[in-house]
Amino acid sequence: MMPNALRLRNVSKSFGTFKALDNVDFSVRAGEVHALLGENGAGKSTLMNIACGLYAPDEGHVEVDGEAVSMSDARDAANKGIGMVHQHFKLVPAFTVLENIVLFNPGRQAAEIASQAQDLAGKMGFDLDLSRRTGSLGIAEQQRLEILKVLVAGARFVILDEPTAVLSDQEARALMTIIRGLAASGSAVIMVTHKLHEALGHSDRITVMRGGKRIAETSPGEMDAAKLTTLIVGEQIVETPAPSAVIGKTRVRLSSVRVPGRSGRKGLEGIDFRVRGGEIYGVAGVAGNGQNELADVLMGTAEQTGGSIEFEGHGDISTLPPGGRRKAGFAAIPVDRYRHGLAGRRSVAENYAVNGVLSGSYGGWLRFNRGQARKQTQKAIQAFDVQGVRGTGMRAGLLSGGNAQKLVIAREFETMPEVVLAHSPSRGLDVRAGAAVHERLRAARDSGAAVILISEDLDEIFLLSDRIGVLSGGRMVAEFEAPANRNDVGKAMISHE
Amino acid sequence: MTEFLFNWLVNVPAFAVPFALAALGLILSERAGVLNLGAEGFMLAGALAGIGVTINGGPPLAALAGAMLAGMAMGLVFAFLTASLRINHVIAGLALVFFADALTRYIASYAGWTNQAIKGLEPIFLGQDLVVWATPLICLGCVLLLNRTRFGLALRAVGENPAAADAAGIDVTTMRILAILLGTALIGLAGGYLTVAVSKIWTGSVVGGRGWIAIALVIFARWHPWRAVLGAILFGCIEALIPRIAATGADVPRYFLQMPPYLATLAVMIWSATRSSGGGAQPAALGLHHIREDRD
Amino acid sequence: MSSGNATEQITPLEGAGIRSETAPAPSRHKLRLVPLLEVRQNVPETQRLACYAASLAVAAAISFALLALSGVAPSDVMREIATVAFSSPRALGSVLAQTAPLVMAGLATAIAFRSNFWNIGLEGQMILGAIFASVVAIYDVGPEPARLVLMAVAAMAGGMLWVSVPAMLKQRLGVSEVITTLLLNYVAFNLLLHLLYGPWKDPVSSFPHTEQYEAFERLPLLGWLNLTWTLPLAALLAGLLWWLLSYSRIGYLLDMTSSNREMARAVGVPVAGLTVAAILASGAVGGLTGFSIAAGVEFRMTQDFFAGYLFSGVLIAFLGRNHPAGVVIVAFFMAILLLVGQSLQIFFQVPSALVQLVQAIFIICVAASEFFLTYRMHWRAAT
Repeated sequence: MMPNALRLRNVSKSFGTFKALDNVDFSVRAGEVHALLGENGAGKSTLMNIACGLYAPDEGHVEVDGEAVSMSDARDAANKGIGMVHQHFKLVPAFTVLENIVLFNPGRQAAEIASQAQDLAGKMGFDLDLSRRTGSLGIAEQQRLEILKVLVAGARFVILDEPTAVLSDQEARALMTIIRGLAASGSAVIMVTHKLHEALGHSDRITVMRGGKRIAETSPGEMDAAKLTTLIVGEQIVETPAPSAVIGKTRVRLSSVRVPGRSGRKGLEGIDFRVRGGEIYGVAGVAGNGQNELADVLMGTAEQTGGSIEFEGHGDISTLPPGGRRKAGFAAIPVDRYRHGLAGRRSVAENYAVNGVLSGSYGGWLRFNRGQARKQTQKAIQAFDVQGVRGTGMRAGLLSGGNAQKLVIAREFETMPEVVLAHSPSRGLDVRAGAAVHERLRAARDSGAAVILISEDLDEIFLLSDRIGVLSGGRMVAEFEAPANRNDVGKAMISHE
Repeated sequence: MTEFLFNWLVNVPAFAVPFALAALGLILSERAGVLNLGAEGFMLAGALAGIGVTINGGPPLAALAGAMLAGMAMGLVFAFLTASLRINHVIAGLALVFFADALTRYIASYAGWTNQAIKGLEPIFLGQDLVVWATPLICLGCVLLLNRTRFGLALRAVGENPAAADAAGIDVTTMRILAILLGTALIGLAGGYLTVAVSKIWTGSVVGGRGWIAIALVIFARWHPWRAVLGAILFGCIEALIPRIAATGADVPRYFLQMPPYLATLAVMIWSATRSSGGGAQPAALGLHHIREDRD
Repeated sequence: MSSGNATEQITPLEGAGIRSETAPAPSRHKLRLVPLLEVRQNVPETQRLACYAASLAVAAAISFALLALSGVAPSDVMREIATVAFSSPRALGSVLAQTAPLVMAGLATAIAFRSNFWNIGLEGQMILGAIFASVVAIYDVGPEPARLVLMAVAAMAGGMLWVSVPAMLKQRLGVSEVITTLLLNYVAFNLLLHLLYGPWKDPVSSFPHTEQYEAFERLPLLGWLNLTWTLPLAALLAGLLWWLLSYSRIGYLLDMTSSNREMARAVGVPVAGLTVAAILASGAVGGLTGFSIAAGVEFRMTQDFFAGYLFSGVLIAFLGRNHPAGVVIVAFFMAILLLVGQSLQIFFQVPSALVQLVQAIFIICVAASEFFLTYRMHWRAAT
């Protein structure tokens, strides 16, 4: 048996009728970084949740140092030396840094924990004040706290789930150094990711999953980006930039737009930019620098305290309610399709029909012609290739991410919009669904719409944008014409710290 | 005038104690993320148990212990609905109040406990009874429990971020059940105090909305035990004033005199809501269910 | 499956048998069962109905057991139900007479619940409605033929006024309406007592209730089963709301708003206006409920004309799934329950709280059954 190793042996797991994991074998040894690659829904997170005791496998089991172990929660896993840093941090924002570490390490003296944490933090080069309120830490600092938390608990096997998803390029590079340091000091590190360059550049072994199955186990030396993509997606999907052919006149102009910050976060402190018809304007930036506020102020759901937003032919629309803006030709693909884009408990038809209802297509105030709404929805579903709709009466919440997004787009693009806001439109979608969404955005642009793309994913920004603005600290700090230099954009993103 | 002031202030503690104990009990369960609208019901259960034990020959302290147990028994039903079955906390709380209201009146009329005066709890020092003196200690106990123990840390973690608590190996359901039971014991005691020490008689309306006022007090106190006690004293002052004003024979319509506690509660809720940064104090996961189910 | 050069290809070759050989079950661990919850994605309508029916059956069983403990055998209960509700047209008439205000109470509550507004202030709104109607009656406002209509309008205004305070506090400041609506019940009740023991005390009998309304201030008889116009009024309201909630743009927009407020706002639904309108409608129907009892049953305002309607309203709305048709059906059975309760009180000396106890048991059982619709539970060995 393999010493000092964590192994998941022939693990299967189903949720209802959905088979999330199908007989998967996976292992990691002390001193190595093992990258786990795959698309959303490939089963990576489910596998790791089993490794850290949050899920029990339907079949198969977990072995530590060659011995089968039984775990029913994260506590058991921690006792076996397994620690997981989740993509959504498991921290209590209201607690101090130390309280969060203590919470995770019951049965030990707080003073002893504090000194050990201080010690480890020093070794890792973390600059963490144990008495600070966790909620006031930056994202990268919270992540370091998470790592520290599991190390204090004695983790020898450290699992990091999509650790760079929320980090800037610079922060991500710093994290890779930390990860290598962990492995060098004898820990076994599992890095769950969907970024090829991280796996190729910073791991010792790579496992690829697709559709709940393990597809391949290989090493970076034997792979390149193209081969890896083929393994991950199962076919070649390569999107290439397609710059705009015709750029028209200015359709939207924001001048000194201000939005007050809420709950300690900065708002918008005077935003200026314009977008012309026939171009995609990419708004790049690290999460939490005003992206949500910018999207809200464009949709008309934020409190705007200064400046103007001009739509061509409509003047300043700052005081127009959301409905009025939409009548003026505005459409939005909001960031969280289940929270802001759709009403999950209502039917597909009801979700699609809202524009028509408001404009009176399905009757006046005392009438709602459901039959007509269903018919229109059926047409739109076909036109926009929304899959998995068993009937227009099905609850929208049951649609998969990609199809939910397609439904939102079908509704927003029902009549061709003049100004489009797309906020992280491919977040959480697999490559194929993401490409389809991008195709729709390009089509809108090519038909003359002004498209504002807010995204924290630089790849997406570079793929689509004709011009790039960088949002930092609630201001637009730089603007670049495509093709732009990625390093310059990255620098601008953290210039305003 | 001094006599009026004296008569007023000496009565404040007895009126403040039920509010204070109920609010402390609510804080214990709400800091664990359980939105507790059942306070009125738990107080009713405690109030009836206090009378029942006394009428059957129990000493006042036994009556108060019975009140705590009755509160916890109701609390167990509430915990089963909210923590185990994960029913909407608002529905569960309302159902509990309806249930307790009916059950206590049912039992009282069956057992014939209605309108039987009892001797009740006597003052022990400076004209105040044991529970009055114990209340600051109970508050101190709550503060220490919440802020100085691992149990309190875990309880607060469950109320702030159940997913984080779960990842730290804390059983969210068990923790919430324990928090509800601890809390309802105190709320039951508050109800028991009402009958055993204040009214010394059972009527169906003995609690009279004090549970709801206590819920508002908790919001006013921003879930902090000491501030809840201060708020309780404020409301004790208002309530103690009512009989004093009536005793002066002043020409104030009798039923209008009953309104101030409710109107003051409204005022307090408006005041709490208008203060800036009001969101910070409420437990982040208040009223939210936790289920380990984030599939990728 | 695609190929990579020196890549180890994995195929699912091991069967279950092989797996158990290579991985002997850990023997030092005791087998321990832990419950696992899983959120159901989609529940068919038939399963919903079955679960609902099962919870009603459980509640009924508990209620029968409780009655048996109180000395009323199930056969006695069944006989009472038959006598009270179906023994004669007259009996059916009194059931229907009791159904009408319950329908209104249920509708008032259902409209609010459907807009995510926990209106627990029905009794306060009923009191204000009746007070406003009584102002019209006592001070002879308006010509006699229009008096009744004026009273109804005044009652709706009173109910709206009383619910507008919590509505405004919720919309503007985010103050929890559960507590504000409830507290205002106590304020309204004390106001009522003040009036009945003070300026409005019956000058004839000196009892604490208002003087009797004049004949033209009462809801007239229907001329069938001794019923008044309260019943058609309730039926009309139910029909109107059914249409509005299920077949109109208003209902559609209200449903979208209550299931995802942020989304509705972002796509241009006037959410604030709609919600306020729905809450005010709830208050208006509440006021009308008070009016219909004062002008249709008691012919005056008494100390306790509203008693019990808050609980009944919540129960009817909840069991009726906030749907007007559901409300009507549940209200009918609730009326039977109330009348049977009264009769049992007389003939078997059971406490008056029994009816409410049974109501509470039904609420708890149906609420608890939601669990089985929302989650699927597995028991699994913790290994």
